Amino acid sequence: MSLAAEAFVSQMAAAEPWPENATLYQPLKEDQILLSDSASSLAVQTYLRMCGLPVQVVCRPNAEYMSPSGKIPFIHVGNQVVSELGPIVQFSKAKGHSLSDGLDDVQRAEMKAYMELVNNMLLTAELFIQWCDEATVSQITRHRYGTPYSWPLNLILAYQKQWEVRRKMNAVGWGGKTVDQVYEDVSQCCQALSQRLGTQPYFFKIPTELDALVFGHLFTILTTQLTNTELLERVRSYSNLLSFCRRIEQTYFESQKAGGAPSP
Amino acid sequence: MIRPPSDPQEPHVALVEEWNASEQHHKVVVQHVNIQGLGRTKEDLLGYEISDVFNAKNLIDVMKKAHIARQRLLRLGIFKEVEVLIDTSEGADALPNGLDVTFEVNEIKRLTGSYNTMVGNNEGSMVLGLKLPNMIGRAEKLTFQFSYGTKETSYGLSFFKPQPGYFERNLTLNMYKVTGQFPWSSLKETDRGVSAEFNFPVGPTSHMLKWEGVWRELGCLARSASFAVREESGHSLKSALSHTMSIDSRNSAIFPSSGALLRINQELAGFTGGDASFFKEDFELQLNRRLFWDSVLSASLWGGMLFPIEGKPSCIADRFYLGGPTSVRGFGMYSIGPQSEGDYLGGEAYWAGGLHLYTPLPFRPGRGGFGDLFRTHFFLNAGNLCNLNYGEGPRAHLQKLAECIRWSYGAGIVLRLGNIARLELNYCIPMGVQSGDRICDGVQFGAGIRFL
Repeated sequence: MSLAAEAFVSQMAAAEPWPENATLYQPLKEDQILLSDSASSLAVQTYLRMCGLPVQVVCRPNAEYMSPSGKIPFIHVGNQVVSELGPIVQFSKAKGHSLSDGLDDVQRAEMKAYMELVNNMLLTAELFIQWCDEATVSQITRHRYGTPYSWPLNLILAYQKQWEVRRKMNAVGWGGKTVDQVYEDVSQCCQALSQRLGTQPYFFKIPTELDALVFGHLFTILTTQLTNTELLERVRSYSNLLSFCRRIEQTYFESQKAGGAPSP
Repeated sequence: MIRPPSDPQEPHVALVEEWNASEQHHKVVVQHVNIQGLGRTKEDLLGYEISDVFNAKNLIDVMKKAHIARQRLLRLGIFKEVEVLIDTSEGADALPNGLDVTFEVNEIKRLTGSYNTMVGNNEGSMVLGLKLPNMIGRAEKLTFQFSYGTKETSYGLSFFKPQPGYFERNLTLNMYKVTGQFPWSSLKETDRGVSAEFNFPVGPTSHMLKWEGVWRELGCLARSASFAVREESGHSLKSALSHTMSIDSRNSAIFPSSGALLRINQELAGFTGGDASFFKEDFELQLNRRLFWDSVLSASLWGGMLFPIEGKPSCIADRFYLGGPTSVRGFGMYSIGPQSEGDYLGGEAYWAGGLHLYTPLPFRPGRGGFGDLFRTHFFLNAGNLCNLNYGEGPRAHLQKLAECIRWSYGAGIVLRLGNIARLELNYCIPMGVQSGDRICDGVQFGAGIRFL
């Protein structure tokens, strides 16, 4: 978001408290949603639970086109529509809810750096595996992406999205990579995260948006079935990351099962 | 040698040399009918148009039938000019009262192009048009139009083929991409589609059967669009069959002084594939009658209903809209009916009616020339637009359409543009305004082709 738009959103947001009927939109869970979108959506849901902000998850087949930036997920709060984790964190900060206030400047910079690492490595790897690995694309992705539409629109949209993602991969320099190289990159990213986490329960003293982001991506990789289990094994080899995911799942998702909240 | 009148405005002019009046009623036999000047046009196509000339019995008849044949040849749209020559027959088999009729034609060029620039609505665009008339020799026409603008591009390719000998029965195949922006709903729409259309007359009525497959992409025009419009964003595929019947007995399309128009249209979407699934019906009726002193009373009625099938909600791009200088005057453009945060969502049923009195300008300035393009008009418009709950039954629907009627009255000046469009400048007083409608009381300007 541009600076002017951010300032505008902050001003509008600060005016009202967080309402009861805030909604989060994502594609259909069973048939349509892809790995990368599911991970981003889970990250936002985790962040909002950490802040104690109630949000209802609604699945729509056209969620990607409803979003103002074209990315999943987006939230509809009062009169406003905000998409992606970064702007949503800003938005909730303007309403007075923040997780990273307790951090000093050095720690905040470190947190931002690790979030950038996850976005540039993990998210890009997920997109690569979904859209540039021939086996995954033809068996899983294209079919799932076109589910809500009838023939021939399902094919047209799936191919259009595939070309768009491939162009983006070329632009960030991943165009020439092989799948094995991407798995290596994922391992390296997980190693960096694992080293930073060590034996602590969270990356910093208190849960922050970095925890939400890492949980969103790792949990989704661990629970999504792809054409092979290579990605899953690479993540699973870091035991402290596994226990981190389990801990967050137990703290924020299962504890509310009695209240009827759906598990991710 | 006799040349029949080529100018229909002067039917009485004929050049006669050395024939006295009584000879006109002599029986004659048309022995040969020739067409000269053909290039790529196939002769069998033209045979149907000119065959009637052989049936002429006397000279006046020959001239009349030749004139009609000339009109028929011109309406094919493949000749620049057609001239008729009637002469006594010559040659070995010439009868003493035999005639030869020759049509001298000038074919249109094989390829014509046009280039325009257009400016409007904060957008400039360059429009390129290409036309190939009479492509393979039987009056087929291929047209291509391409518009490249600062914001959007659109294009269309169209192939027209009439049935030889029966020009009014024709087939048109289209392929197009068009974009539209609708600020009253904060919506923008891009349609990419193909369609096949078959026109045929049945007695006095003309019918059109059409299949259309469209890939529709809807999006918000501005970040401030209402959530109801945001929810409609995305892609959908519409595959629809439609049928239109129309009868038009008016004496003019723009300022008719007598006659009526009835047009009924049905559209069924969803049974031939696609995501959109509905049945839509709409009609248009117009009656005109001349009153005292050159004034004309005109009454019109429009209506329509949209029934979604299989429980799917209707799409904003399929619903009806009401209001504006071309429908219920005195209200903003398409600004009547269901709305959300200032964005008009359209409705599934509507009706609109108008009663107009057209008179020539007071004191008739410029009579016989420029002044005839203008009329003053006094109008009364009314209409309603709403959504229906399909469980309630038809009586409840009619009742809903009869509640909260919007209406307006006023007067203004109308200008005719060519034979297709008109401009209006009216002073309107809207009444029956419901909360949410946007009005335009006072002076309202309108330009368009189809007015209530």
